[in-house]
Amino acid sequence: MKEFVFKILDKNGLHARPAGAISAKAKEFSSKITVRSDEREADAKRLLSLMSLGAVSGKELHFHISGEDEEKALEEMKKICFEKLGGQNEH
Amino acid sequence: MSIDDATGNVFLGIGVTNGQAYGKIKFLNSTYNYDFKARSSPNEERQRFLLALEETVNKTKEIAKRARSTIGEGEAQIFEIHAMLLEDEDFVDSVLSLIKTGLSSEEAVEKSGEKYSNVLRALGDEYLSARATDIKDICQGIIDTLQAKNDKKEEDSEPYILVAPDLSPSETVKLDKSKILGFVTFEGSATSHTSILAKAMGIPAIVGVGEISKNYDGELALLDGIRGRITIRPKEIDVWEYKNAKAKENKLAREHERYLRSIMHRPAVTKSGKKILIYANIGEASEVDGAISNGAEGIGLLRSEFMYLARNNLPSEEELFIAYKMIAEKMQGKRVVIRTLDIGADKQATYLNLEREENPALGYRGIRLCLDRQEIFKTQIRAILRASAYGRISIMIPMISTHGELLKCKEIIKSCEVELKNKGINFDSKIEIGIMIETPASAIISDILAKEVDFFSVGTNDLSQYTYAADRQNSRVSGICEENHEAIIRLIKMASDAIHEEGGWIGICGEMGADLSLTQELLDIGIDELSVSVPYLLGVRGKVCASN
Repeated sequence: MKEFVFKILDKNGLHARPAGAISAKAKEFSSKITVRSDEREADAKRLLSLMSLGAVSGKELHFHISGEDEEKALEEMKKICFEKLGGQNEH
Repeated sequence: MSIDDATGNVFLGIGVTNGQAYGKIKFLNSTYNYDFKARSSPNEERQRFLLALEETVNKTKEIAKRARSTIGEGEAQIFEIHAMLLEDEDFVDSVLSLIKTGLSSEEAVEKSGEKYSNVLRALGDEYLSARATDIKDICQGIIDTLQAKNDKKEEDSEPYILVAPDLSPSETVKLDKSKILGFVTFEGSATSHTSILAKAMGIPAIVGVGEISKNYDGELALLDGIRGRITIRPKEIDVWEYKNAKAKENKLAREHERYLRSIMHRPAVTKSGKKILIYANIGEASEVDGAISNGAEGIGLLRSEFMYLARNNLPSEEELFIAYKMIAEKMQGKRVVIRTLDIGADKQATYLNLEREENPALGYRGIRLCLDRQEIFKTQIRAILRASAYGRISIMIPMISTHGELLKCKEIIKSCEVELKNKGINFDSKIEIGIMIETPASAIISDILAKEVDFFSVGTNDLSQYTYAADRQNSRVSGICEENHEAIIRLIKMASDAIHEEGGWIGICGEMGADLSLTQELLDIGIDELSVSVPYLLGVRGKVCASN
């Protein structure tokens, strides 16, 4: 089991586009990937579930990854979070 | 919200597009009018739904493709998200389980759509609440498919102002622009996809006006996107004023935009025949597409910090290499100027453990940090060199202020090249090396520095704050930089003369490059390249073509 925490810097929070990118990436792995923000938990492979976290800018996303390809999934999920929620995007 | 003035027909909302329109209003009829009775057994309904779903997904992907070629990348992504929402397992599961209870596909889709719209609305976040409309939109799409309702284009002889409770993004895209003067929605916010699309399509629009009575259908109205106001049965004098203003401004503005689009792929040549390179400044890989679609002839400044910020450790050489390679390949042989890491006390990366400084702008940053912690610099240089085998990459070093610093950098680059060569790894052995001119010192000794490099790129933001000793973040003094240009223009001219003496080129990558009131002056002192952020690309190209 792998874990990491990512703080959302993008001012729009975990909105449709980054959530879409994250769930698409998560689907590439067989590992189970869950994301927790405050009290809510979501399956990273499910777009609606991710959007329903209502994770706004400044919130922390806690990722739990477990499965055969967890090592690779960890790296890739970090990368996609950084790319899509790292606060460098302009909307 | 409606207010009563003399005529009693003014509605106020949020103006999302700065245009005006005058014409008859027409209500969009979008109420559900379907047969919601279960038609067949749950098993058959299940099949019906799954078929309709697949068809709708394909249709949506098709719309995304169309939007990409006609409106833009950002808008196309909206429809790609729609396709993903359609295929979302939670949504599909919800519909299927409702079908199992004996509901028709239509009912099940509508109920599931409501459920998820409500979940998103309940989050209380404006941006996500706006996505509730997208959910409704995709549900409508499935229901339309189930009912085999074709997207019949309404035949209207006269252009009109469209009024609707809410417009879904796909409805917005289907609108025939030649017939629509503008639109007004009862609901919606400035951040809804509809607003974003309206902006991209250049249709005057106001949202969130509250309910407008259907009795007004067919009445003449004046829509004012600037003030966020629609006046039904406006006074004659207002109409007259509008017509005058419209004739003057809007037509000119649109013609200008059309003109700019038409010259987008032509070289930017001044009236006196000098070709100027128009490049884009980008801060992350995803901006490359926008740069290309707005006619960028290259990337004049890739702020490489995007790979270093908002993470807990340094990026590996491999990660950097992959990112740079992707950008170089996307640009297909066009120049990509990668500025090496410009990080320091003002742009913090916690894992570097930098000390707090009294004066970060004058402190430990940019090349000063990189020459001190050379492993960081070498990793980046190796990644850039490796990526240079896949396109046309240039290295640009920030914050140079002495000759010694530059020599040291070149030595490190050389050592990285030797290292790669020994390992048999390919790279561009003639890779261009340039520096940012952003300290007054670098401009003053530009004749010395010019002998060592292929190009200069002027970072006018820092150069002006260092030249005028005025902090651009401090509103009490920032005006000194913004309103005065004589000193900085002289410094740029020194650098321009120096680099041309050595046969190199010079560009501007600071905000000054996008200031159209200074374009002529910059061209006069011999600037060869202007690199600006994506939204300014078209305007700058137009200005250059109109300059001497």
